[in-house]
Amino acid sequence: MFKKFDEKESISGILQLKSSVQKGIRNKLIEQYPHLEGYIDNILPKKDAIRIVKCHDHVEIVVNSTGNLLFFRQREGPWMPTLKLLHKYPFFLPMEQVDKGAIKFVLSGANIMCPGLTSPGARMTEAPKGAIVAIMAEGKQHALAIGLTSLSTEEIAKVNKGVGIENVHYLNDGLWQMKPVK
Amino acid sequence: MTEEEKLVMGPKPGVNYPLEVIYCGNCSMPLEYCEYYPEYEKCKAWLEKNLPSEFEKLKVNDTTSEGAGDEEKKRQKRGGKGIMKTKKKEEGPKQVCISRAPRGKKKSVTVVTGLSSFGIDLKVAAKFFGQKFACGSSVTGDDEIVIQGDVKDDLFDIIPEKWPEIDDDLIEDLGDQKR
Repeated sequence: MFKKFDEKESISGILQLKSSVQKGIRNKLIEQYPHLEGYIDNILPKKDAIRIVKCHDHVEIVVNSTGNLLFFRQREGPWMPTLKLLHKYPFFLPMEQVDKGAIKFVLSGANIMCPGLTSPGARMTEAPKGAIVAIMAEGKQHALAIGLTSLSTEEIAKVNKGVGIENVHYLNDGLWQMKPVK
Repeated sequence: MTEEEKLVMGPKPGVNYPLEVIYCGNCSMPLEYCEYYPEYEKCKAWLEKNLPSEFEKLKVNDTTSEGAGDEEKKRQKRGGKGIMKTKKKEEGPKQVCISRAPRGKKKSVTVVTGLSSFGIDLKVAAKFFGQKFACGSSVTGDDEIVIQGDVKDDLFDIIPEKWPEIDDDLIEDLGDQKR
């Protein structure tokens, strides 16, 4: 999604959100990520003025008052954390681990293929189809991408062919490169 | 931590969140992913310079994982090379240019260009100049600040003082500009 994203060209506007909308987003996030509940006040303090950066392709990014990028979504889809945020709070997404050989492809933006998730170096935690997952790597500590499962983990193990997880946001893509918004 | 435990969801007991992750200054990724960056050598150089302790760790790991070389060869090769593209950084000459432009008959303005190549926020810089010289100062272009009044001489002292990364020699005087 952010492969061709460019900070200068892709942003069409920044909006200050009404407090009612902010509350809505907070509730939605907690509903979506129950593990976040005790930490949401650290990520999005109640008093904080959160803003939304509108970008091309109907992408919206939630930004807090210091300008750090927190969550993004496309159209009315679910909110997804940015990798910077996920590195700080790595526990609220189901994690899928790919083997070593897949790392460099994922880092250049490729979707995650099933064999990379089923080989000996890889590990999967159960996730349904269409879930947001963190992509970890064999022998590495931090997430390297955020993806959307296009098959459930059960199906991935069974089919073992083709795309298993769609790569949405990865290290060094346009969103990762984006600087805090003033 | 075993591999199994690593992937369990939920906050881990005894860990304080938010975690601090160290990012490489060259490739901007977490240090452990530097090796996948095309300019790994530059990453190493950066690490050695900025975080010597982490660099030592890396060296130790390198020697202990000597056996991994064979494993590397056995690993199945999948299609394509999958080489990442290096993000092109503006490797243009890093330089700040200062010039004076006339404004009316006897007044002049000072034009500062090139500050953004040092990663300086122009808006903040303009505000700073305005406050320092008690005059109007604004961002007028992509990489241009116009300060009202002739403050060229003062700028040579103030810019290195405010931003130590800009050396005296990197500031160039373009003299008078014609409008």
